[in-house]
Amino acid sequence: MIDFLLEIGFEEFPPSLLKKTAEDLSVKVGKLLVDERIFYRSIRTIYTSRRFGALVLGLTRKQKPQIIEIHGPPKKLAFDNNGESTEMLRGFMKANNLEATQIFTKKIKEGEYACGKKEIAGVNTEDILCEEVPKIIKSLEFPKTMVWTKGGFRFPRPIRWIVALLDRKPLRFKLAGVKADRYSSPNQHFSFKPIRLEKPREYLILLRHGGVIADPNERRKIILKRIKKAAEKIEGKLLYTDEMIEEINSTVEYPEVVTGEFENQYLDLPDEVLMAVLKVQGDLIWVKGTNKFICIFNGKKKAVQNVKKGYTHVVAAKLYDAYYYYKNDLKQGLQSMLEQTKKMMWLKDLGSLYDKATRLNRLVEMFKTVPELDLDVLKRSAMLCKADLLSQMVREKDFTFLQGIMGGHYAEIGGEDKQVATAIKEHYLPKFIGDTMPKTKEGSVLSVVDKIDNVVGAFLSGHRPSGSYDPFGVRRNAYAVVNVLDTCSINILLFEVIDNLLKMYNKDFDKNIISEFFIERFTRYLQDKKFRYDEIKAVLATWKGDVTDARIRCEALKKLRGKPDFTKLVIGQKRVRNILKDIKRIGVVNEELLKEEAEKKLYKKGLETKSKIKELFQNCDYFKILNLLLAMRVDIDKFFDDVMVMCDDKTLRNNRLALVNYINSLFSQYADLSQIVIEGENQQE
Amino acid sequence: MRKDQTFENIIIRLKQYWQKKGCLLFEPYNSEVGAGTFNPATFIRILDKKPWNVCYVEISKRPRDGRYAENPLRFQQFYQLQVIMKPGPSDIQRIYLESLAHLGIKFKEHEIKFVEGDWDAPTLGAWGLGWEVWLDGIEITQFTYFQQAGGIDLSIIPVEITYGLERIAKVLQDVPSVFDLKWNNNLTWGDVYRQNEIEFSEYNFERADPEFLTSLFNKYEAEAKKVFNDGLVLPGYDYTIKCSNIFNLLEARGVISISERAKMIGRVRALANQAAELYLRKNSEKNEEESEEK
Repeated sequence: MIDFLLEIGFEEFPPSLLKKTAEDLSVKVGKLLVDERIFYRSIRTIYTSRRFGALVLGLTRKQKPQIIEIHGPPKKLAFDNNGESTEMLRGFMKANNLEATQIFTKKIKEGEYACGKKEIAGVNTEDILCEEVPKIIKSLEFPKTMVWTKGGFRFPRPIRWIVALLDRKPLRFKLAGVKADRYSSPNQHFSFKPIRLEKPREYLILLRHGGVIADPNERRKIILKRIKKAAEKIEGKLLYTDEMIEEINSTVEYPEVVTGEFENQYLDLPDEVLMAVLKVQGDLIWVKGTNKFICIFNGKKKAVQNVKKGYTHVVAAKLYDAYYYYKNDLKQGLQSMLEQTKKMMWLKDLGSLYDKATRLNRLVEMFKTVPELDLDVLKRSAMLCKADLLSQMVREKDFTFLQGIMGGHYAEIGGEDKQVATAIKEHYLPKFIGDTMPKTKEGSVLSVVDKIDNVVGAFLSGHRPSGSYDPFGVRRNAYAVVNVLDTCSINILLFEVIDNLLKMYNKDFDKNIISEFFIERFTRYLQDKKFRYDEIKAVLATWKGDVTDARIRCEALKKLRGKPDFTKLVIGQKRVRNILKDIKRIGVVNEELLKEEAEKKLYKKGLETKSKIKELFQNCDYFKILNLLLAMRVDIDKFFDDVMVMCDDKTLRNNRLALVNYINSLFSQYADLSQIVIEGENQQE
Repeated sequence: MRKDQTFENIIIRLKQYWQKKGCLLFEPYNSEVGAGTFNPATFIRILDKKPWNVCYVEISKRPRDGRYAENPLRFQQFYQLQVIMKPGPSDIQRIYLESLAHLGIKFKEHEIKFVEGDWDAPTLGAWGLGWEVWLDGIEITQFTYFQQAGGIDLSIIPVEITYGLERIAKVLQDVPSVFDLKWNNNLTWGDVYRQNEIEFSEYNFERADPEFLTSLFNKYEAEAKKVFNDGLVLPGYDYTIKCSNIFNLLEARGVISISERAKMIGRVRALANQAAELYLRKNSEKNEEESEEK
């Protein structure tokens, strides 16, 4: 048994990519070993801001030998009538280096063949790693890379050393001009002297002596312990998230801690601003309600005093700026910022930000019937929601992400209704998939109309997304629209909103292009909710534009599709669709013309079902509706079994077609069930 | 901390350090710039394939950052020490760190942090990847591997190291405000520049005449285009730099809307791109002639 250490050293890696890349790398190394039949006992991911890699313990020196079977000529051609080997078989044996004892015959799909079996000895693990490890490193994927050296090798940051130690021996390979060796690098706060590694097992301990806690889990524990210890002495609430801890963990090699503070007057600033300042100044953790922050830094304990002084200073300078913007903004007031939005262009040829606000202010009237919604609040917040883009705070790049939040604060302090302030604060939500949702009805509606306007505006000004081109985040916006409509249960017909909006723009644009785009994003949303593509397609085929309604229909469909009756029903629906496909004119059912028992029964059942489901539709009780429709299955099948629809008598035929159409119309109120794919069916159909 | 750690001595020490590392010692450009990158010793010289190592102080003007001398760390004008090494040596990070040690910074007593910072200069059509270097949380340097300049993919990747001299001096001298920095043993930074900060803050934010500046912008732009057409790179680039500075002034004055801003940046960038292309065209012609002579 031997051990293997791979460590790729670089200048400080982007923290947001580090964990994922390091984990990818060790997964790929693990997979390589499994694929290559090299046994190993354990694999451990290592990373710090300046390195990542994998420590693999207990490997075999060689691949496990492999027995392979090679197919030769067909039996008929391999042996002559006497059972002796033919020229062809001998050729096959020679080409594959096979002895007569290794030859046997075997029946495979195409017939009986002569085959050879032989054992291939395992290749040295060393040779495989030399060959494959550079390929693995090259196969890592990144959103953004750079060039730093001749040859044009690309990586997020320059690779400066590689340790690839198999037991006591470095692997022989070169990558990006760097030769794999046995020398690692210590924490530069401790020393510049390279760390010589004799064998992989001493890696973690020698690195620790060099000021590097290479195991990320261990480092994370130390970070949390230090933060909690520092907070013990302060009365207040620690404010941090797992993401913040991971970010810190990705920027240090040896975590030490220090507590800093700022002047009390800055506690007047909104919490979001304080937290933003502390974040941009180095992922500092605020102890809420106090003027203290906790700083995890990379280096030696001896540095505590200087680090404290430095961070305290930059935080003070940044808070000074923030406070300066904040006071100026308050002095100016939101109403005056709103006036200024008249001069601020929104999108090319689509007017100013003020025009946008006015448009939203009018558009939200459509939502006046939404329960628990205060239209006056909504209209006012629509008018004010973009004004903070003119505030000094939001115009500063470190605080741009506080758009909406600042508007909310300025509105409230400026004497606006508190609900108005909340709606303004909430209307940018959700900013990404998985982000928090607006909590109030007004905030939700404003979020929706603002984003629909963003999408429509982008289309009108020629920024329709395609491929990787989506500069205005139109896809994200459209996704968020359906997400909010569904999650916050706002019942509105999406297409009507788009219609009204297009009328306001008064531009000649094919609205179907936009509707289809929303349907595509909605499909994606429903897929993320784990609905199957055919379920979504069935429901959206007859969709009127109410998002929540469609999602509930999908749910009922998903629940029922397991039932045996359901499959038969779908088959029936497909039959109906085929029958009706080419028929152009269809009349209404004339009850007197119904001759056969089965058609009379089906019509009766249809009438009954129709009256039953009418009320259920009003309550959106789709599960019951679908059950009732399902209950028609026996009569439908009986009808198709007993009654000849396409009979010679034209009158009868037309009446039967009308009946089929009538029954179909009951279904299509719900969904186009013929879209459902059933097992064994050719999906191309 | 060393007693002779004056602002001017820090500059001298850094220049000496980089001189020993093979850098040509250069001087600031003779026109207002927003950063050392604008100096032709960077922007023009990084374009071709010839090695180029240079070090110089640049007086950088950032009208928007003026604070009427009220903020200890923000001013409308500061000194950068700019280093370009093309190609960047493989131990460049260590060379940089040792320059800090050369100034008397002990790594065991501070935190030096390389904070991810993708750098781009939209008016120069330039971008690169690298870091802000923080000394105890204070940004003291930008460290960048240029990838593109003037819209052109660079064939030899240069490293740009830009020290914020006031900030480093502030840490080294351990004073609460840059205005208290000892320039030499008699005068402080404030003695030299306080009035400058107050007056330029007022000018930049309140007094600058937008119409005058806009007309200058248009005239400089037209002149740059004309000069490029005459095949002259450096005079044309000179007017490009002037346009960029005027743009900064207009922006500080708060009279450019978002869309106008993007347009003006685009106009300056177009000039910078033209300068870069013209320079490369002229130089490849020259190289060909030289190689023919050989």
